[in-house]
Amino acid sequence: MEEYYILCEDSPEGIFSGIYDAYLLKKPHERIHLMVKEEDNYRLFANYLTCKPDGEKACKVARTIRKQFGLEAYLAIFRAVSSAKEDKAEAVYKTVVTGLSMKNPVKVLENLKDPFVHRVFEIARRVGNETHGHVEFLRFRELRSGLLYAQIAPQNDVLAFIVPHFADRLPLENFIIHDKGRNLFAVHPARQDWYLYSGTEETELLIGEAAKDFSEGEEKYSELFTAFFHTIEIKQRKNYELQRNMLPLKYRKYMTEFIYGNKGL
Amino acid sequence: MERELTQITEIVPREYGEVQVGESALAYGAGPINTAGPVIQNRQEMTLLQKLEILSDAAKYDVSCSSSGVGRQGDGTGIGNTAAAGICHSFAGDGRCISLLKILFTNECIYDCKYCINRKSNDVPRASFTPDEVCELTIQFYRRNYIEGLFLSSGIIHSPTYTMELIYQAIYKLRTVYRFQGYIHVKAIPGADPELIQRIGLLADRMSVNLELPTAEGLQRLAPNKHRKNILTPMRQIQQGITQNKEEIVVYKHASQFVPAGQSTQMIVGATPESDYQIMMVAENLYRKFDLKRVYYSAFVSVNEDKDLPALPGGPPLLREHRLYQADWLLRFYGFEAGELLSEQKPNFNILLDPKADWALRHLEQFPVEINRADYRTILRVPGIGVKSAQRIVKARRNGNLTFEDLRKIGVVLKRALYFITCNGRMMYPTKIEEDYITRNLLAGKEKLPFDKDGMTYRQLSLFDDTMERNWREAVGG
Repeated sequence: MEEYYILCEDSPEGIFSGIYDAYLLKKPHERIHLMVKEEDNYRLFANYLTCKPDGEKACKVARTIRKQFGLEAYLAIFRAVSSAKEDKAEAVYKTVVTGLSMKNPVKVLENLKDPFVHRVFEIARRVGNETHGHVEFLRFRELRSGLLYAQIAPQNDVLAFIVPHFADRLPLENFIIHDKGRNLFAVHPARQDWYLYSGTEETELLIGEAAKDFSEGEEKYSELFTAFFHTIEIKQRKNYELQRNMLPLKYRKYMTEFIYGNKGL
Repeated sequence: MERELTQITEIVPREYGEVQVGESALAYGAGPINTAGPVIQNRQEMTLLQKLEILSDAAKYDVSCSSSGVGRQGDGTGIGNTAAAGICHSFAGDGRCISLLKILFTNECIYDCKYCINRKSNDVPRASFTPDEVCELTIQFYRRNYIEGLFLSSGIIHSPTYTMELIYQAIYKLRTVYRFQGYIHVKAIPGADPELIQRIGLLADRMSVNLELPTAEGLQRLAPNKHRKNILTPMRQIQQGITQNKEEIVVYKHASQFVPAGQSTQMIVGATPESDYQIMMVAENLYRKFDLKRVYYSAFVSVNEDKDLPALPGGPPLLREHRLYQADWLLRFYGFEAGELLSEQKPNFNILLDPKADWALRHLEQFPVEINRADYRTILRVPGIGVKSAQRIVKARRNGNLTFEDLRKIGVVLKRALYFITCNGRMMYPTKIEEDYITRNLLAGKEKLPFDKDGMTYRQLSLFDDTMERNWREAVGG
């Protein structure tokens, strides 16, 4: 029995193109597998194929998923694709196959008995949780120009899921959210649509300099909030473990109240 | 904080330096200026930071911090939106969420409630915000994503109506001048002019009136200036306002919304001798008769020395508060009634078991439940299965019979549920359906409580060793 392994690029476009190519092979789906990273040990009797990301193919697949599975499942699959987990491509591919064979594909993600559907559900939930964590804990700092600048370092590629929330919330502000790990910028000019910008080393240096020059108000309000953060605590109920459960340490690196708090205020 | 806060206030003849009030505030019965007694006034040099520290410190005993109940997109002309599920923005050192900028407008107060840090007879630094300061803090914190909105409560300055007028000015300005569309939670002060409450309701997302203590007797004893009837009046008014507003919105699509996120209340637990049963009955009545969104329970924190207050050497009764919240969830999401959980004969919750497991152990005749057949409401009553798991089970079993492995993946806590369920007619292990046996096994796996490190619970429980032993015997049926 020949097995096929398709190596695709680690991006929504790459994985959706991979799914398109898998269908093109016209072989039983159980024998086709999708990967986003090369294996350390190659298998015997397996065909390794490489899929080149193709906008047109990806769009076709995305459109089919959207149409057949409905918006909610589509978004969940999109979240899963943005995950940092390496088995995501295989899970999404097999979930699409399972879903399209169902009588009512809209309910594909309710089929938690299926191991691949369950995996998509699981990693999509994880990405969703991280997205929500950043919506909660992201902190803007005001630079001298009045621009609001926030840094994040998420495990999964959640930047694009975060921005719409802030674009709706702060329509009159110029703001930038910077994913430091991926060197990705979300830019929102006041009263305009936002866009993603993939930074180079140069932009990183440039923004690094600008981001140290805070406005006058910034110091005042970060001090005020840090003070508020400490006075609002009921000392008789001190419970650091609960605090850590609700607000994991990984988020605290860029949070005003913790940065400021460490300076011994 | 090491600052000498006491130095910055002093008693001066009544004259509002910092609190800028409109003429209308005086019109609401505040009376001519020179006839009033001395009040404590902020000196000019009190900074915004000092005020914020005093007025957030004074507000922290209010429990409610949720920003949920209303989803609203920004209209593009100002700042802010709201998320239906609410968003927390930080967690303080006590593990409680910080969602709203929780402050008092002023901590001056004409009342003398014995449990309250701001009671008239306490010698604490007093401060007041101006409406502009409240707006400035809210907007600047909100822009930086520190907060989800504003929670504005207040001590009573001069009269309830006068105080509400000040609050109204602040949030009116916030909504209209600053075009703030985020979440606003306002405390309605019992005894204030109903007209003012009506107007605030059209600006706020949520309103709440504190019940303070579960029974009228307790209230009379600890809060001599407050009366049960006065507290229930604005609660009823807000309830009727919400109902009426819903009808208006059906007719006029763009009618402004009155308290769209509903109203809530809170009561202090452990300051007066009510039983858990009494408290749950009060909560149930509030949900049924006043359509409340939430009832908050606040473990009594001893901040004042008073002969009418209990001494709590073990710290606030956190476990009791935790059990009440668990039961509260059972009322609101699991279809339980207070009378099922507790009774006159068994007026308090079990210390060792959560209310749901406790109920299940007393109703073993209804178990085991077949997961692949039972209806949603029955599954919901199984210990170890929550609302989400129950919903997933009902959906997932359409695609075939579920096994214990599937349940585990779905999120069911099998080590608790296994005594109460069957899958395809089989139990997970051969077990006895017997109260003693199951109790023993459930207690063997330690319950996950939100507070057991930091030396709080263990010390606290050891102080109640006698009750604990009695409860233990009760729990194991001895």
